[in-house]
Amino acid sequence: MDLQVALLLGQDGLTNGAIYALLALALVLVFAVTRVVFIPQGEFVAFGALTLASFQADKTPGTLWLLLAAGGLVSLFEVGAALRRRKLGLVAPTLLWNLAYPALAAAIAVLGHPVAWPLAFQVLLSLALVVPLGPMVYRLAFQPLAEASVLVLLIVAVAVHLVLVGLGLLIFGAEGSRTPPFSEASFEIGSIAVNGQTVWVLVASLVLVGSLFVFFDRTLRGKALRATALNRTGARLMGISTVKAGKQAFMLAALIGAFSGVLIAPITTIYYDSGFLIGLKGFVGAIVGGLTSYPIAAAGAVLVGLLESYSSFWASAFKEVIVFTLIIPVLLWRSLKSQDIDEHQ
Amino acid sequence: MMRRHLGFIAFVGLLGVCPLVLPEFYVTLLNYIGLSALVTLGVVLLTGVGGLTSFGQAAFVGLGAYSTAFLTTATDLPLWVAPFAGSPWIALLAGLLLTGVVALVLGFLTLRLSGHYLPLGTIAWGISLYFLFGNLDFLGGFTGISGIPVLSVVGIELRSGRAFYYLIWIVVLVAVRVIQNLLDSREGRAIRALQGGTLMAEAMGVDTARAKMIVFVLAAFLACVSGWLYAHLQRFINPTPFGLQVGIEYLFMAVIGGAAHVWGAVVGAAAFTILKQWLQDWLPSLLGSSGSYEVIVLGVLLVVMLQRAREGLWPVLARLVPDTKQPITFEVTEVSPRNPILALGTELLDCRNVRKEFGGLVANDDMSLLVGAGEIVALIGPNGAGKSTMFNVVSGVWPLTSGEVRFRGERVDGMGARQIARRGMSRSFQHVRLLPCMSVLENVAIGAHGRGRAGVLAACLHTERREEREILSFAAAQIERVGLGEFMVAPAGSLPLGQQRILEIARALCANPSLLLLDEPAAGLRYLEKQALGELLRRLREEGIGILLVEHDMDFVMGLVDRCVVMEFGQKIAEGLPAEVQANPAVLAAYLGGAL
Amino acid sequence: MKLRIVAAMLVAATFVSVARADVNVGVTLSATGPAASLGIPEKNTVALMPTIIAGQKINYVVLDDASDTTTAVKNARKLVSENKVDVIVGSTTSPNSLAMIDVAAEAETPMISMAASSAIVDPVDARRRWVFKTPQNDVQMSTAIVEHMTNNGIKNVAFIGFADAYGEGWFREFSKVAELRKLKIVASERFNRTDTSVTGQVLKILSSNPDAVLVAGAGTPAALPQTTLKERGYKGRVYQTHGVANNDFLRVGGNSVEGTFLPAGPVLVAAQLPESNPVKKSALEYVNKYETAYGKGSTSTFGAHAWDAGLLLQNAIPVALKKGQPGSKEFRSALRDALEGLKNVTVSHGVVNMSAVDHLGFDQRARVMVKIENGAWKLQ
Repeated sequence: MDLQVALLLGQDGLTNGAIYALLALALVLVFAVTRVVFIPQGEFVAFGALTLASFQADKTPGTLWLLLAAGGLVSLFEVGAALRRRKLGLVAPTLLWNLAYPALAAAIAVLGHPVAWPLAFQVLLSLALVVPLGPMVYRLAFQPLAEASVLVLLIVAVAVHLVLVGLGLLIFGAEGSRTPPFSEASFEIGSIAVNGQTVWVLVASLVLVGSLFVFFDRTLRGKALRATALNRTGARLMGISTVKAGKQAFMLAALIGAFSGVLIAPITTIYYDSGFLIGLKGFVGAIVGGLTSYPIAAAGAVLVGLLESYSSFWASAFKEVIVFTLIIPVLLWRSLKSQDIDEHQ
Repeated sequence: MMRRHLGFIAFVGLLGVCPLVLPEFYVTLLNYIGLSALVTLGVVLLTGVGGLTSFGQAAFVGLGAYSTAFLTTATDLPLWVAPFAGSPWIALLAGLLLTGVVALVLGFLTLRLSGHYLPLGTIAWGISLYFLFGNLDFLGGFTGISGIPVLSVVGIELRSGRAFYYLIWIVVLVAVRVIQNLLDSREGRAIRALQGGTLMAEAMGVDTARAKMIVFVLAAFLACVSGWLYAHLQRFINPTPFGLQVGIEYLFMAVIGGAAHVWGAVVGAAAFTILKQWLQDWLPSLLGSSGSYEVIVLGVLLVVMLQRAREGLWPVLARLVPDTKQPITFEVTEVSPRNPILALGTELLDCRNVRKEFGGLVANDDMSLLVGAGEIVALIGPNGAGKSTMFNVVSGVWPLTSGEVRFRGERVDGMGARQIARRGMSRSFQHVRLLPCMSVLENVAIGAHGRGRAGVLAACLHTERREEREILSFAAAQIERVGLGEFMVAPAGSLPLGQQRILEIARALCANPSLLLLDEPAAGLRYLEKQALGELLRRLREEGIGILLVEHDMDFVMGLVDRCVVMEFGQKIAEGLPAEVQANPAVLAAYLGGAL
Repeated sequence: MKLRIVAAMLVAATFVSVARADVNVGVTLSATGPAASLGIPEKNTVALMPTIIAGQKINYVVLDDASDTTTAVKNARKLVSENKVDVIVGSTTSPNSLAMIDVAAEAETPMISMAASSAIVDPVDARRRWVFKTPQNDVQMSTAIVEHMTNNGIKNVAFIGFADAYGEGWFREFSKVAELRKLKIVASERFNRTDTSVTGQVLKILSSNPDAVLVAGAGTPAALPQTTLKERGYKGRVYQTHGVANNDFLRVGGNSVEGTFLPAGPVLVAAQLPESNPVKKSALEYVNKYETAYGKGSTSTFGAHAWDAGLLLQNAIPVALKKGQPGSKEFRSALRDALEGLKNVTVSHGVVNMSAVDHLGFDQRARVMVKIENGAWKLQ
C-alpha cells in the first residue's frame, strides 16, 4: 500500500465515516431524550435517498402514501384520545400536522411535476416527505411506551425497523437507485483526485454538526431537549413536555437520517434495505461513545468508516467481521472502566 | 395430583399422536416449531427471567450446527480435532464445548455492563459470525455443507421428518422440564432475583455476575442443541438460518409467547411459525406483488403486543389449562441458625472515621459508629445528610474513600456487598425491592441463598430436594416469625406496602444475620402496622440481633431504640440515648428544631 | 394448423380430465430476499406457462422461499406432502437447491433447479438421480469468459464478487478454468450487496495492475464496483457475469458499464441471433411472451430458466403420462426417466441432451458473449 492508496482509502473512510457520525449523533440524541435505541435510524437514510431517486425518475415516491397513511393513523389516535379526555379543542394543531400537511405535500409532489425542478428543491421536497415520519413513528410506536424499560423499547425499535424495511420493499421495490451528484466537479489535491460529492458530504456533515451544536447550546428548544435528556422527571416539573421532546428528537433523527441518505445516494446504489447496515455502523460509533457522549460517538463513527475502508482493502471478505468485532474491545474497555454495579434498570 | 398433570399429559399425548395422523408438511412445521422453541426457551430464560436480552441466539444455533456438520463430514482433519470427528454425538459434545467457551468470553465482555449493551453486542456478534461462517472455506462458505449424516438413536435411523419429530420434541420437553426445575430452586431464585436489581440480589448474597453468566451459557447451550438437531434434520447447512434476522425472530417468539414463562417459549414458537407461514401464503396475493411483507404485519403485531399485552399469549392460555406448576412443599421447622447467638453487648459493627467522596463531593466525613448485639441504633438526620450513603458504604455497595469498617472484629471495607452479606449482615431497602410476581415464600427464600450449596446441575435435575426443603422450611419459619404466615403462597406484589416492608425484614432474617440494616422500615406504614413492626424489632433485639436503622419517624424511633446517631452534612453531630439527643442543642438546631 | 392442434387438445382435455387426476407442478423460488432480482422474473414466467400439456391439466403451486434455505426445504416438503406435486421446480439459488435435494430424493419426486452451481446435478448419484437443472453451470460461463480473455491477449485478471454463494461459486469455477488456461488471477476481492463503498477493494485491484477485471454479482449491486473502477480511472476491460443480465443493471450502471463483456444465455440477445441458430426461435418466443405480459425490455435471462424448466416438462410429461397416473409414484418415476431421456430439446437458453450422467444437457450453444454498447446488449 503506497501513500496514494492510503490517502484514497482515508478519503473514502472519512466520507462514509462522516455519514456514520451523523447517524451516531442522531442515535445518541434519541437515546438520551427517549431511552430508545433507535435501530430504524438507517431506514430513514434509505427512504430519503429513494424518495429523491423517485422524483428524478419522474415517479410518485411511495413515501407519500406512507406519510398520508401514518398521518391519518396518528390523527385517528389523537382524536380518539381527545374524545376520551373530552378536550377536542386541542387536536387542531395535531390535525394540521398529520392531515393537512401531508395532503399539501402530496399535492405538491403529484401536481408540481418535481422532475423538472432544480436538484436543491427536489432534495427539500424529499426531506419534507420523509422527516415528518419521524415524529409519527414516535407517536405510534414509542409514545405509549414512554415509561417502559430500555429493553422493551429496544425490542419495539427492532420491530419498527422490520416494519419499515417491509414497507420500504412494498413502496420502492427490490431494485436499487442512484441519484446524480450535487456537483460533478473534481479536484486534485496533491496526487489524489477528490470528487465534488465527497466534499459535499464532508462539508454538509460539518455544517449539520455545527448547527446541531448551536441548536443545543443556544436555543431554548435545544436546551429543553438537553434538560429532558438529563432528567425526565425534572424536565417535566419544569414544564417541558417529554412527549414533545420525544417527537422533536425523532424529527431531528429523521432529518439527519434522510439528509444523510440524500448525501450518499450519488456515491452508491441505495436499496430499500441498505439502511440497516449503515445505521448499525453509526451504532458501533455511538457505542464507542457509550451512547452518551456526542463528540466521542462522532469520533468513533469516523473510526468505523476508516476501519471499514482499510479493511475492505486488506481483507474484503472479512470486512463486516472486522467492523463489528471492533465493538468487542470497546465493550471490554467499558466493562473494565465501569466499577460500580449499574443500578439503572 | 392427577388433575394437576392432566393438561401436561394431554399435551404430550397430543404431541405423540401428531406425526401419526398429520400430513408430512405439518410434521415438518412442528419440527421447526420444536427447534425454535428450544432456542426461544433460552431467550425466555435470558429475557423474561433474567432481564437480559440477546439478538444473537441464532449465531449459537449456528455454532451447534456447524460443529456437527464440520466434524461429521470433514476429511483430512488436523490431528487435534480428529478424535472428535465421525460421530454426531461426539460432535454434539464438541459443539457444546465450543459454545460454552464462546458464551463465557462474550458474557465476560458484556454481562457486567448495563442492560442495552448486551443486546447491542449480540447484534454485532450475530452479524460477525454470519460472515465468518460464510467466508471460511472449510465450513463450505456461503454455499454451505451438504451430506451431513443421518442421526441414529439406539440403532434407529432418523431418516424421515416423522422419525426425527420424536427426538426433537423429547428434547424440547426435557429442556422445558429441566429449566422449570432450575427456576424452582435456590439457583433459579438467584436468577429470578436479577430482575429485582443487582443491588438487592447482591445484598442477599447472590453472585449476580455468576447468575447472569449461568443464564447466558444455558441459553447458548439450548441454542447449540437446536442447531445440532437442525443440521441432522436438514442434512445441509449454510449461513442463512444463523443470521441476525433469525436471531431477532427468536426474540419475537419469546415476546409473543410470553417472555416470563417457560411454556411461553413453546407457545411463542408455534404462534410465530404458524402465523408467518400463513402470512407468507396469503399476503402476496392480497397485496398483489411478492415481497417479505409478513414482517410488516409481524412487526406491527409485536409493537401492539408490547403496548397492550406485554405478558404475551401464555398467561391467557394458562388460564384455560390446569396449573402444571408443582405446589411448594415445606414445613415450618426450627433450623439451627448458622451464626451463633452472640452475648448481649458483643461488638458487631465498628465504623471508624469513614469518609466517602463522589467526585469532589463529600457524602460522609469522619463517621464513626458502633452497634452491639442486642442493641437497636438509629441513624437519623435531615434529608441529604448522608444516611443512605453510610448504609451503602457499610453494606459494601460502594467502596469507601478512607476509614475502616469492622464487622464482628473483621475488616470488611473493601469487600463487596455479597461477601459482607455472607458474614451475617443483612439489609432492607428504602424502596421495597421484592419480586411482585413471586410468592412470599420464594421471595423470602432468596434471603437464604447463602444457606445452600447445591449447584446448577443438581438444581436442573432436582437432586437437591433435601436442601431445598430445608431452605423453604427455614424461609417459612422466618415468615411465621414476622407474622406473615397466612400469606405464605400469595404473590408478594399483592401485599400492601406495610407488609411488603415487613416481608423485606423476613427476607433479611433468612440470611440468619447477626446485624440487620433497615432503611426506613416504618415509611408508609399505618399506626397499627408501626406498632407491630416495633414489637418485631424488640423481639429480634431480645434474640440478640443488632439492628441499625435509618428512620424519619421520630415517635417510632424514640420509643424503640437504645441509641441515636445524628448526622448532618455527612458528619456525626450527636450521639447518645434518645432523650439526650432530643435535648442536644446542635441537633435541635440542625434537624429537630422545628419538629419538636 | 396450430388452431387445429389446440382444438384437438381441448377436446382431448375434456375427455381425459374426467379420467385422470391433474398434474401438479410445485414451484419454490426466491421472489424476495437477496436473490429477489432473480426470483421475480422466474415467478412472472411461471404465470406464462401452459396450463394444459398433452391434454392434461397442469396445476402450478408457487411458493416463495425468501432466499432462505430453511424456508426452501419447508416449501419443498409442503409441496411434496400437502400439494402432492409430481415435480418440483426450484429453487432460485444454489444453497436453496442443494438443501432441497434430500427432500426430492426422499419423496422420489423429480426436481428441476433454476440455480447455477454444478454441484446440484453433479455427480448424478442416488440422491441426484431425481435432480435436474436448466441454467448453465458456472463452469460453462467461466470457460466462455476465460476463452474470451485469452483470445484478446489478457494475461492477468482481478476478481471481485459478492460475499455470498453466487460470488463464491463463480470464484471457485473461474479460478479453476483460469488456472488451466494459464490466466493469472492477481486479486480476489469480495463485496456485499448493500455496501455503500467498494473503494478499498477497487484500489487493491488497481494496485495489482490487471489487464481485466471480472465482477461476479447479480443484479444492480454489480454496477457499484464498475462505477468505482471507472471513477478511479481504470482503463482495462471489465467482465460481468450473466447475473447482471437485466435492464435495471443498465439503468443503474449508466455510462460506467459501457463496453462491458459478459457471457449469457442466447435468450438475452434473441433478436440478434443469426437465423441459423437453432435457439433463436425458441428464445424469441419466450421474449415475446414475456414482454407482451410485462412490458418491453422487461425480459431477463433468469425468467428464461424457469421457462426452460417448463419446456422440459412439456416434453417429458406426455411421455410419462403413458406410464402412470399423475399423483402416483409410477408417474413421478416415469417423469424422471422421461426427463433423463430428453434429446435435442430446444429451449430458450440452448439445446438440451440429457443422459444418465448429465442432468443439465447443455453444450456450446447455450452461451454467447455479449457486450454492452450504447446502453444495450450487443451480441459479439
